[in-house]
Amino acid sequence: MATIDIDAPGTSQLFIGNEAIARGALEAGVGFAAAYPGTPSSEILNSMASVARNMDIYAEWSINEKVAMEAAAGASFAGIRAMASMKQNGINVVSDFLSNLVMTGIGPAGLLLISCDDPSAISSTNEQDTRHIAKWLDIPLVEPGTFQEAKDMTKWLFELAEQLGTLCMLRSVTRIAHARGNVNLGELPRKQKKAYFDQCHDARNPFPTRYMPISSPIRHTFLHLKLARAKEQFESSPFNYYLGPEQPDLLIITCGSSWLYSQDAVKALKLEDKVGILKLGTLWPLPEKFIEKHLSKSHKILFVEEIDPFLEQSIMEFAASLPSTAPRPIFLGKRSNHIPAQGELNPDLVMKAITSILGVSYEARDAEYSKKAAELASTSVPTRSWTFCAGCPHRATFWSIKNATKLDGRNGVVTGDIGCYSMALGAAGFYQLRTVHCMGAGAGIASGLGKLAQFGFNQPVIAVVGDSTFYHATIPALINGIFNKSNYILVILDNSATAMTGFQPHPGTGVTAIGEQTQPISMEALCRSLGARVEICDPFDLKSTTNTLLNMMAEGGGAKVAIMRRECELVRGKKAKAPYKVHIDSEKCVGQACGCDRVCTRMFLCPGLIWDKEAGKSKIDEVVCNGCGFCADICPQGAIVKEAA
Amino acid sequence: MVIATKTCNDLLTEVVDQGLCTLCGACTGSCPYLAYYKGRIALLDKCSVTGAQCYEYCPRTHIDMDRLSQHVFSAPYSHDEMGTARDILIARSTEKQIATKAQYGGSVTTLLSLALEERLIQGTVMSKMSPDKTSIATLAKTTDEILQCAGSNYMACPVLEAYNKLPKDSNLKLGIVATPCQVLALTKMRNHPPQNRADINNVQLVIGLFCTWALAPDSFHGFLKEKFEIPKVTKFDIPPPPANRFDVFTISGTTSLPLDDVRNYRMPTCAYCLDMTAELADLSIGAAEGIEGWNTIIVRTEKGADLLELARTKGKLEINKLPPQNLAHLKEAAWLKKKRALQEIINRTGDKKELLYLTLPQGLMDALLG
Repeated sequence: MATIDIDAPGTSQLFIGNEAIARGALEAGVGFAAAYPGTPSSEILNSMASVARNMDIYAEWSINEKVAMEAAAGASFAGIRAMASMKQNGINVVSDFLSNLVMTGIGPAGLLLISCDDPSAISSTNEQDTRHIAKWLDIPLVEPGTFQEAKDMTKWLFELAEQLGTLCMLRSVTRIAHARGNVNLGELPRKQKKAYFDQCHDARNPFPTRYMPISSPIRHTFLHLKLARAKEQFESSPFNYYLGPEQPDLLIITCGSSWLYSQDAVKALKLEDKVGILKLGTLWPLPEKFIEKHLSKSHKILFVEEIDPFLEQSIMEFAASLPSTAPRPIFLGKRSNHIPAQGELNPDLVMKAITSILGVSYEARDAEYSKKAAELASTSVPTRSWTFCAGCPHRATFWSIKNATKLDGRNGVVTGDIGCYSMALGAAGFYQLRTVHCMGAGAGIASGLGKLAQFGFNQPVIAVVGDSTFYHATIPALINGIFNKSNYILVILDNSATAMTGFQPHPGTGVTAIGEQTQPISMEALCRSLGARVEICDPFDLKSTTNTLLNMMAEGGGAKVAIMRRECELVRGKKAKAPYKVHIDSEKCVGQACGCDRVCTRMFLCPGLIWDKEAGKSKIDEVVCNGCGFCADICPQGAIVKEAA
Repeated sequence: MVIATKTCNDLLTEVVDQGLCTLCGACTGSCPYLAYYKGRIALLDKCSVTGAQCYEYCPRTHIDMDRLSQHVFSAPYSHDEMGTARDILIARSTEKQIATKAQYGGSVTTLLSLALEERLIQGTVMSKMSPDKTSIATLAKTTDEILQCAGSNYMACPVLEAYNKLPKDSNLKLGIVATPCQVLALTKMRNHPPQNRADINNVQLVIGLFCTWALAPDSFHGFLKEKFEIPKVTKFDIPPPPANRFDVFTISGTTSLPLDDVRNYRMPTCAYCLDMTAELADLSIGAAEGIEGWNTIIVRTEKGADLLELARTKGKLEINKLPPQNLAHLKEAAWLKKKRALQEIINRTGDKKELLYLTLPQGLMDALLG
């Protein structure tokens, strides 16, 4: 499959939505792309970084989303088209900067914010709908409903941003970001502009250029004028269109991936002559005249959109402002419970809403078939649970954390954070995590728990963060803990990659997004410079890791750091062969008997270990086992044997 | 049998959570779920095994003295003050190196060294004071290693954990030096051999230690740390009554603490223990009160008698009869411990028929309560 820099204008290529966005940016002559990894947004910068040298653009994995947006703004101020991409959580991180950026306006070059939302929170802790920030902060917002639009909108949005002098936002969702479709390509500009921070725009302006949010009320007024100009453009945008009969029984108003589901639903129900679909691509500010024209088409209007009723509320609000003589349709959607207000949509859900509103009956397949399919699925598909990969060092770390807190005996509390290790909420990490919120929150919460001694609190507190999360948002919480003498242990799971989102580099890895060598930021040197006691453990050294944690818990005092250093097994596995060949000495394995009770397959749960029910013994799954050899140390009978491979 | 349904949870709720655990170590060392750490037994994970050996061998669950006595002596439990005894003697080591390091007469170290030399045993499970002056369970395989274990800190130590940690295919012939509660647990194991642990029949020699109570390791160690620079401490001693003091020897001199202060750190479970002299051992050894530098030795089994005879003929130990007034005193102390403990148990349960963990012959019950 082609990379996004394929120089073949006029051809059609298969791109995932994120690649289409990146391609659109390339066609627009973007020069600077920054991002922090997060599903479903990561492939935008992944793909741009991979072509950065060829396209003579700059791409970086920033330390967090706020810095990504700020860095991109810097490029815009110096006349280079720039963008920052992130998942929905990142919008919260960047929002403080955004609220000021909209006041100052952008530089002479277009600046985009790309937000990829995750309805149903398939790879997230929440399913926040980021369209609201556009309304909240007066940011022109578009959302692609096809892969082609993902590319075309991105390209056009740079021009719009430049025309308006304000940040523009593109919102996408998982099923656009990660699905693949045909994209017709345009020209790729090759020459980048010279970057220059022009401190005095022109002769008419006696003051140097200053990007400052004051005086806010005046700038707010200007911002509203920019928004009004955006609205004018949106009224005639080709990304908004109507499909259906002139006088439909039901009018669907939709956007994004719901546009695809709506089309499928209408088609499947064969209601093309009765149901019309108004597809919106420019969501904020609303193209009010365009919408008004269609509102009178039907007396029933159904809003089909994912997560929040953004269009539903905005359009109802607008309709309320129409003169009393205007037709008053019935508005249906989330408010009327026809469309779920949480989770992803799909054609079935849209069909359900349409059939219930129009009183038609439809059965996608006969009930008997559905029953059979469900039965078959339950018998022939093995149950799978969330777990760490075979040989994952996190499993070993959580084993030590569990043992150490049990041995310590004071009901130690473990706070968690965002990454693969969030799975320690469940059996994969022996149910050790008690809290998971946003990036860096675990250490912040620990910092509070660690100050409760005066209220009789004596439970040890352990905050667990990944290496990338440490750099992203944990350092302030650590400094807070040291400054305020909070009694907690920060455990950093240093597996040398942003593993969960696809092994992107971070400041500790010594490599940048475009593969350049850079000075690695040593987390231990950083923490020591803050005055923290820092211990470095190999999580595969069970005894020493457990003892270090016990010792730190017993010691008390201010915030301390324990770095669990071992490379992500998937990263290691790509570079080298398995270190051990592991097998089970079935003579020694006592299985369920007293003295073991299947500790490896009942508690430790590495997927490389399987329970042979018939033999009453454990076995190694040679296909899954990565040969890390750690399980040999947890077998109480010495039945797991590791031999150097 | 009730035991067949018991799990490690029952051990925790009936023994550990009730403050009855003696920290003998019978439940740890071979189990991935139970672990000894700083004076506590911790449960690391849920175990689903019923008829669990941890419950089975605990010296604070179902102790039937008649049955255990049958196993060791082929006779019902003796109603005497110190249980079954063939002979009661005093002894001291003739080896200078041992005598200087030993707590009292050096008899334990001497007998173990002899047993090693004679290949009666190949190693001994016993407690050892670590540099931080807490105790750890260890397997000593040479005379030197045994010598390093000489001396006591009076703190409980999970000695049996060292046996449990042996590979289950170990055929090392073993001696064990154990306190009365540990001998009880060990006798349960010998009576009903454990699974998935080293063969209990490898235990060839059981030397029991006299014990009135043991100190709770973690809290007492905390008390010591407040008062002394631990690395400078060399030895602890409780001189015989009426001294009523706890002596701490350091490189800069000896400090005597009132014994009552130290008693506050006793293991609560010791109050329910009737056995002062490790009545189910081959040989039971303690200080000879009032005879400085000597041990009292109670000879209980043929095996014990043979080893002692060998020590005498080889000139390793100097052995004498225990003077009658000392014997009377020892008997009185042992009997008083039995009476006191039985009363404590009854006070706790509120019922003379409910003795927590213990089943005693009725005749002995009557004598003790009379």
